Amino acid sequence: MLLELKNITKVFGGLAALEDVSFSLAEGEILGLIGPNGAGKTTLFNVVTSFLLPTSGDIKFCGERISSQKSHIITQKGISRTFQNIRLFDQMTVEENVMVGRHCRSRSGVFSSVLRTIDQKKEEAQIKEKTNQLLEMVGLSGYNAYPAISLPYGLQRRVEIARALACEPKLILLDEPVAGMNESETEEIARLIKKILGQGITVLLIEHDMSMVMTVCDRLVVLNFGQKIAEGTPQEIQRNPIVIEAYLGREEN
Amino acid sequence: MVINPYYLQVASFILINILLGLSIYITLSTGQLSLGNAGFMSIGAFTTALLTTKLGLPIFLGVLAGTLLAGLIGLLIGLPTLRLQGVYLAIATLGFGEVVRVLFINWESLTNGAVGIAGIPHLGRTILASLQKSGFSPESLGLKNNEFISLSVFSLLLVITILVVFFFWRLDHSRVGRAFHSIRMDEKAAESMGIDITYYKILTFTQGALLAGFAGTLFAHVTGYISPADFTYHRAVEILVFAVFGGSEIIWGPIFGATFLTMMPELLRALSEYRYIIYGVVLVIMMVFRPQGFIDAPLIDRIIGRKSNENNAA
Repeated sequence: MLLELKNITKVFGGLAALEDVSFSLAEGEILGLIGPNGAGKTTLFNVVTSFLLPTSGDIKFCGERISSQKSHIITQKGISRTFQNIRLFDQMTVEENVMVGRHCRSRSGVFSSVLRTIDQKKEEAQIKEKTNQLLEMVGLSGYNAYPAISLPYGLQRRVEIARALACEPKLILLDEPVAGMNESETEEIARLIKKILGQGITVLLIEHDMSMVMTVCDRLVVLNFGQKIAEGTPQEIQRNPIVIEAYLGREEN
Repeated sequence: MVINPYYLQVASFILINILLGLSIYITLSTGQLSLGNAGFMSIGAFTTALLTTKLGLPIFLGVLAGTLLAGLIGLLIGLPTLRLQGVYLAIATLGFGEVVRVLFINWESLTNGAVGIAGIPHLGRTILASLQKSGFSPESLGLKNNEFISLSVFSLLLVITILVVFFFWRLDHSRVGRAFHSIRMDEKAAESMGIDITYYKILTFTQGALLAGFAGTLFAHVTGYISPADFTYHRAVEILVFAVFGGSEIIWGPIFGATFLTMMPELLRALSEYRYIIYGVVLVIMMVFRPQGFIDAPLIDRIIGRKSNENNAA
């Protein structure tokens, strides 16, 4: 298993945002995390990336316990993410945003940067090359020098995905990548996610767009009020009465 | 060519102020507002003043010791205080600066208290003296002694400032600089890109302390006299204003701010006490119309970027 969550509980004050959640991801699969608003999906992302420490429970990545590690260490180990409300570096260009993503896969320090040593120049050239590859992959070639915030919302999402990919993750966490997008934009992102999978990167996806979730995901985990209420293939989940009840409510007899 | 020691003196202070403006720019580049730079400056100044007057060490060693001590104390202060953010960090570092100043006032046996330290070896005079030993005379350049002294101080400071600007300009345009600025723009996003934000915050805080201490040592050897009154919180705020007025997002901002704000009172000297009213009004107008500071990235792009825009179009 690439990622294993065991009995994750996260309590804010008296409120359990996550309660005893366990599931795991195999390498190369794409798992959708769904549930009504406030179910604890983003909290779960924040716990996995150590933005929040779990109140109890264990997280293992590649067999190694990561639940008390700092966020930047977790990124180095191979988990990167995007954010529900896009968090690009506002005053940077598209290219610079993605270049920042290369940080944990490069090593030049203060003195090699100032002296522009041969290694530093080589590394900087590699960073640029990789950045261009990623921008091409997400369909943003030629946007290098644009200020990131000047792009329309849909393209900003792609910059964020490219930036997360620049960390060379084994596992990428996408938090509502198609929120607010129209059908054709959604399809393009779905294709991009397939491309990401094609590179051997495992995907954990939070999404409300059900038609996308159903077509893209191998498996789904459903959260409601912080608890895992179901897990299975999209077909199983669609037929699951507990899930239907969580989303639509109970039918009056 | 007319060499006016007064103008050169003002120009030398501009250069020292540029170093101070850069010292706060560096800490601001990871989004930390430090008001302790007057404190670090005074540590540098007093260290070299004491070492050169009491122990008779050469200026070079005094400057080195003062700079390193300020940096070391910056590191020690930075470790606990960098958990604080925004205005809390500002207050904590302002408090640090005041503690240092009060310490220098009250430690009379060492620092002469409020009287200060006089007779600090002057940079220019020391250069002249050592050159004269090897038979050099300013008259061979057609200069009087005091003209040569001012000119040598200015030239040395200019070279130092250019090197420091070069250092930080290159740092800014590298992996490390990108990490700095990403932290300033969005700390959480930076962290999720694998950037160790604690390390870079302490790095910039320490670099700022080193540079402020370095500027302090130069200040001591250019004025020849220092007292704790040179390093009050007025100084801390003045340094901050260099960066805020000039712009704190790119390196040219504080350079411009320090230059302009040091020159303005001199240019307005004819207006005597009214000049500080004008100084204040200029600041207010600036904050209303350009809160990001006079110089920002779009302005630089407009000045030098016209070419690159043409290239993009082609």
